[in-house]
Amino acid sequence: MSGTTPNGAPPGASDLPQEMKGRQQSSSKMAYMAVIAVVVIVVIIVLAGWQLGWFKSNSSTPATASCPAPVSLTGAGSTFVFPLMYQWYTTYTGSTVNYESVGSGTGISDISAKTVDFGASDAPLTPAQKTNASGILQMPESAGAVAIIFNLPNVNFAAGKSLNVNGSVLAQIFLGTIMNWNNTPLQTLNPGLTLPIDPISVQHRSDGSGTTYAFTQFLSSASTQWATQVGYSTTVNWPVGTGDKGSSGIAGAVETTQYSIAYVDLNYALNNEIHFAAVENPTGAFILPSVNDTASAIADSKDSTNLPLGTGNWSGVDVENAPGAKDYPIATFTYLMFYQNPYAAYGSSYTLQKAENLVNFLNWTIHAGQSYSEGLYYVTLPSSVVAADVVTLDSMNYNGAAIPQAACG
Amino acid sequence: MGIAPNVGMNPFPGEDAGVPAGPPPHSPVPQLEATPRRERIGRWFNSIFRLLVTVLGFGILALAALFIIVLAQGAWPSLLKFGPNFLSTSTWDPVHSIFGVVPFVIGTLLTSAIALLIAVPVSLGVAIFLTEQSPTWLSGPLGLVVQLLAAVPSVVYGFWGFIVLVPYMRLSVEPGLQGSVGKVPGLGGVFGGTPVGTDILTSSVILAIMIIPTISSVCRDSLLAVPRHQREAALSLGATKWETTNFAVLRYASSGIIGAIILGLGRALGETMAVTMTIGNADVIPKSLFSQGQTIASLIANEFTSAGPGSIYQGAIIEAALVLFAITILVNVIARLLVGRVLRVEGGS
Repeated sequence: MSGTTPNGAPPGASDLPQEMKGRQQSSSKMAYMAVIAVVVIVVIIVLAGWQLGWFKSNSSTPATASCPAPVSLTGAGSTFVFPLMYQWYTTYTGSTVNYESVGSGTGISDISAKTVDFGASDAPLTPAQKTNASGILQMPESAGAVAIIFNLPNVNFAAGKSLNVNGSVLAQIFLGTIMNWNNTPLQTLNPGLTLPIDPISVQHRSDGSGTTYAFTQFLSSASTQWATQVGYSTTVNWPVGTGDKGSSGIAGAVETTQYSIAYVDLNYALNNEIHFAAVENPTGAFILPSVNDTASAIADSKDSTNLPLGTGNWSGVDVENAPGAKDYPIATFTYLMFYQNPYAAYGSSYTLQKAENLVNFLNWTIHAGQSYSEGLYYVTLPSSVVAADVVTLDSMNYNGAAIPQAACG
Repeated sequence: MGIAPNVGMNPFPGEDAGVPAGPPPHSPVPQLEATPRRERIGRWFNSIFRLLVTVLGFGILALAALFIIVLAQGAWPSLLKFGPNFLSTSTWDPVHSIFGVVPFVIGTLLTSAIALLIAVPVSLGVAIFLTEQSPTWLSGPLGLVVQLLAAVPSVVYGFWGFIVLVPYMRLSVEPGLQGSVGKVPGLGGVFGGTPVGTDILTSSVILAIMIIPTISSVCRDSLLAVPRHQREAALSLGATKWETTNFAVLRYASSGIIGAIILGLGRALGETMAVTMTIGNADVIPKSLFSQGQTIASLIANEFTSAGPGSIYQGAIIEAALVLFAITILVNVIARLLVGRVLRVEGGS
């Protein structure tokens, strides 16, 4: 660019390319490109193979101890259970537990891909997902309820009273067949209130959510039209309404949108002091949700004393619409997922010591861990559910041998 | 500075100084002797360097290929089950495993198109003001602010949109539009429905606000690159300021301006967070500007965590990602052809 050497040529390194050009360009260019092409193709194949899991190494070091030395355990999944899980893994000393709050679907993906030691999901595995992750176990580790929230300006409620709704009316609202607040079925449930004529703005979750699972399961049992047209899952094909991302998105939308209605975790509603509706239970009582009424509902529900085995199909389990007079009807479990035989699932690099760490932590969550539930507005598991979970944990084994359990933490 | 081409003259000397014409009096490059040893090392280093950059260059190809392979593999269950119907049906039902991508393709193209309609005139105006009209003491700081706005993370725009813009659209803008433009015969359908605030129009407005800084800062760069003699020639022929801008400057910079618009469009097509927070996330074909909708990007952001591994649902979401990939490539190809055409017609820069 600037400056010249005494002989007039450009100085420094800039004279090299000129020389190289003549020597290399024409003769070796083809061979050169061929080498590059081969290298690139090999890289693609190796990367693709790595992606598709062609290379898996196995090595081994088994060990035993009555209360094993702490190792690091990793879990991923449900955002709903994260506050409780956080309390658990910061309290528990038997192992170092890391939990990634990435969503139930990712939790199921991760445990199926065996990249974590346990997954957490608010919805149970579907039969297809179970087939996909051979040898997987699932157990409820906590429970919650779904609250109905709404925004009705200029409607005054008597002390301790709220909007009354039931499954049938909710299904019609979310199907779009009840479109105004003063529609007869809704007004009939609220004789003391003057409901406005304004159209109902339906809000629902746009992201996959265990809350959606529990809510749509409730609507499916209340309305045959909902069950056949929409069904229940973590995401459904909503007939009407606006989708909002996350509990905070839906709560924010209801707060700012007049005449709206939506559903949200009871846990979230209580933490943020959001006003919710009373939902009619099978005895005809209108119940405002609380942690205690949900716990009694789960204990009273027909399925809670008749739970499947850890290896069984949980997708039909329904703890909603319990028969007790004070039971809140929209209750749901949240699940942990892990492998019955970690040795078979992860290979021999998964030590017995680590398997012991895993089973001890899981055991702790359903026993000592439950004491943290109520303070964080989670529902404490009834004893019948804990008993079923214990059977599931006892069924775990390490390459055929029972895994020693100890209370460590 | 951006895409400014090599032009000798700079209308704003001192801001983006060109290459000095002659050699400086004292060269900063140390004088090195060309010994055989140095030459050998240099040659060796040169071939290593060339290998390195060639591998990196082909690496991009490999990455794109790997990307498509992995996406196609993930989308396989859906590709097998739905085939071409995926591209032509509009039901998105995870419970019954029926998937069609039409609502999201429409949502993506519609929001991006409306965003461009709003953003292009505004951005051009901003860029013209900054380069042609603004006093010099103002154009520097203003240009800086525009570039700063282009760097604001999209989630911030989305949050602002959700908190501020959505209620404003619902309570003021949308009823206003419905009461005025919506009354024009034939336009009632476009502005029909209940204004909810989270809808196609609001997310288009957010997208427009997000891409205005991008488009205007790149436009500004290409207007700055127009040689001063273009302007001087026009002015000397008695052209007004407007005529100078229109005939001498904008035409000359047209390829740069189109490049800026394409950059903005690219950002709008792929924008995820801000759209998810304002579009209403309903898996239906929008019936009006006030309908809720969903773009491909927002669909993926919303639903990827809930699809089980290896399921048809997950396959469908990954296939939707492939479709977005294809749309982006298609838009870029069309835009490139367009730029080539403009260059031939105008014979400008």
